[in-house]
Amino acid sequence: MSVEIIFKIAGIGILTAVVGQVLKQSGKDEIATLTTLAGLVIVLFMVLDLITNLFSTVKTMFDF
Amino acid sequence: MDIFKILAIAILTCIASLIVKQVKPDFASLVSLAGGVVILLLLINYISSILDVFRGIIDKANLSPTLFSSILKIIGIGYLTEFTANLCTDTGNSSLASKVGLAGKIIILFLALPIITNLLEVIMGILP
Repeated sequence: MSVEIIFKIAGIGILTAVVGQVLKQSGKDEIATLTTLAGLVIVLFMVLDLITNLFSTVKTMFDF
Repeated sequence: MDIFKILAIAILTCIASLIVKQVKPDFASLVSLAGGVVILLLLINYISSILDVFRGIIDKANLSPTLFSSILKIIGIGYLTEFTANLCTDTGNSSLASKVGLAGKIIILFLALPIITNLLEVIMGILP
């Protein structure tokens, strides 16, 4: 579980950067910003899922 | 041993965030955040076994369970606030990190109050 989540996030970051560059070169600037935003949102959701997992585990373990 | 796995993950996270920093600077802190969370999750089962041992000791010494549960809460709060404060310094806003640290300290002090009063009562009992 552990390592591939990190590489998934790094991969999405690189992918959005590349797609953004390609779209910028081909003149579609607004689509480039949209794809970068979409990549950011996807990564945020993944990180959010990790954090809620951590917080719920700690909550159950330290019986808050 | 798990420690090597944790160290390997930390090194890989640093490398990944370095690579992503060149291409997309704002993703680097997200990658390091994810690495931090993964390492904390790996530590969870160690902490739970430690807490089970302490629970056994507390039951044997028949201390009051509320005392131990507030100590547990304090450890949990320290655990999470330290993680969040470091995360804030990572993403650059160190003033937020000090505020989070202050909030953690105040809440820990608030939770420690019953323990302090308990201790004072015990001392009063001992004194003639």
